[in-house]
Amino acid sequence: MGARMERQCAHSMNRLALLFPLLLGFFLLGAALPPAWGQYEVEQEKPFWIRGLLDVRVAQGGQAPSWTDRGPGKTRYGGRSTSLGFERVTRVALSQLAIEVGGTLPWGIRAQAQLNWDTDINGDARPSLIEAFLRKEWGEWENGWGFQTGVMNIPFSLEHVGPAWTPQYTLSASALNSWIWEEIRLVGVEGERWQVTKAGIRLDLLTGAGFGPDQLGRLLAVRGWALGDVLSGVNSDLPLPARGVQTAIFYEEDYRPAIYTWFTISDERERGALRIGYLDNLGDQGTTGVWETRFGMVGAILHPLARMDLLVQYLEGVARVRSPSNDSSLRAFYVLLSYHYQGHRLSVRYDDFRVHDLDGTPSTRERGDGVTLAYLFEFGLHHRVGFEYIWLHSHRPTSMPPDPSQDGWQLSYRFRY
Amino acid sequence: MHQQKFLFPFLLFLLGVALLTTSPAAGATVSGRVVGSDGKGVAQAIVFVQALPPGVTPPPVSQSAIMDQVNKTFVPGLLPVVAGTEVHFPNHDQIQHHVYSFSRTKSFELPLYKGEEASPVVFDKAGVVKVGCNIHDWMSGIILVLPTPYYAVTDEGGQFTLQDLPPGAYTLACWHALSQVKVEETVQQVQADENSPEVKFTLSLATARPHPAIRGARGDR
Repeated sequence: MGARMERQCAHSMNRLALLFPLLLGFFLLGAALPPAWGQYEVEQEKPFWIRGLLDVRVAQGGQAPSWTDRGPGKTRYGGRSTSLGFERVTRVALSQLAIEVGGTLPWGIRAQAQLNWDTDINGDARPSLIEAFLRKEWGEWENGWGFQTGVMNIPFSLEHVGPAWTPQYTLSASALNSWIWEEIRLVGVEGERWQVTKAGIRLDLLTGAGFGPDQLGRLLAVRGWALGDVLSGVNSDLPLPARGVQTAIFYEEDYRPAIYTWFTISDERERGALRIGYLDNLGDQGTTGVWETRFGMVGAILHPLARMDLLVQYLEGVARVRSPSNDSSLRAFYVLLSYHYQGHRLSVRYDDFRVHDLDGTPSTRERGDGVTLAYLFEFGLHHRVGFEYIWLHSHRPTSMPPDPSQDGWQLSYRFRY
Repeated sequence: MHQQKFLFPFLLFLLGVALLTTSPAAGATVSGRVVGSDGKGVAQAIVFVQALPPGVTPPPVSQSAIMDQVNKTFVPGLLPVVAGTEVHFPNHDQIQHHVYSFSRTKSFELPLYKGEEASPVVFDKAGVVKVGCNIHDWMSGIILVLPTPYYAVTDEGGQFTLQDLPPGAYTLACWHALSQVKVEETVQQVQADENSPEVKFTLSLATARPHPAIRGARGDR
């Protein structure tokens, strides 16, 4: 037995002795080989892409329940009703779960879509279709045309420029832009023309038409202004203060398209830009449930210092409905100053908003203002944490109570890929 | 004795003048053309020396380069650099970009930034590095990292000139982003001297895949 093992051992040693020079030769040959060429090959591009975003919040709003819970609260996360009245609540919430997909189709057509899951808005796990469009452009940055069709937002918000249309400077957008993203979504077409003049001024004119916003304005008249980051889908229904009542984002009864236009003038490097917009839903008040709403808007983005952003935006409009009559004029304004350095961003914003009742009972009158202070910090490649505090004062005679306490804070963690 | 006193400084002066006015020996030049399968010149092809002759030491070159971001476009879209170069990625747009590459040659990511806040990236291995932006999917650039400092980019007519090559036998190769001919199939041995022959490369180019951009108002994010 021992001799056999010795023989096996010697045999293994002999094989190893043969293997070693072979391995050495192979290694030396490899070292002497000319360099590989594979690294000069250009990797194939995928025709489609997918991105995602997850935002989780710890939030404490005012004492009054939020409008998302059909309360008088002005922020997305509010308090709760008890037998003793309203009380503050600290809650953990999934603020946003978004999936963006896109790709290149034949003839250079761009296809893009976004789905969001916001359980506190739709009240269930139904995804919201934020956008789904086809786009084709001709030309270059200096001079070109664009055409787009599908489910679209209107590009009026200066704040919703972050990933997956999130507000970039704060966690909650201004009252003005919160409304833009809460209530306006349409299915239509738009064309765009842009050109850089010899003087280095870039002009961009976008005009579109679409169906869906026949109830536009109802949210402001019945609920009033609010501050938040709710992104409605074209298939969303937003809660209104009365139990069981909601407003549909896509509601088309008069078959008259809304029209809108958006004009931008900026320097070539966009250090400063002036934007003017107008929308008219051309609603037919003779059709039951249809609102006639139109508004104009002017805004500016300036970068007075390399790391500073200054935004100003003003909106004024009117929303009318017959049977029952409930006409209002709308006005909102904000100014936002933001400083960013590497991954840090500190922003402060002042909001002012009004609804004027134009025809008496039921009153839609509202006035309010507020200050938002936000600190956001991007770290690593995909992470962001943020903190925001809002002081908000509003007065709305038909709310209960008419002056709910509205200061609150939010802590956010966001992951995107 | 008096004359000898000034002779040495005078000779020294002459030597200095001679040294100052004599230029170093100029190297050889290799020129040629890159054409497509239709015989027309191919622009933006890069002809480069893959292997140096024995004993030739490449001259020192700049170890820094810039790939800018302007109007949601990488500028230049094609950046040839020598291995070991650090590349800066300033962002001169008013919006943030998230620059990345998952290429085998060099993988890196620069988190969302604006201005000149991002640290430079050192490209120390020869090969192709495709660069993109994680926010603006249509942004695409290529950094071609080359093994030697002897390379040339073809002009609109496909012409190229490699200059200041120390005399010797070189291995030349040709690369183009859309080439269907592998780089190793373009390799040519060239003798660089006073009578260097014209070199011709023939490539077959694929059709460029479009990158549909959003240059209008909806792209302002």
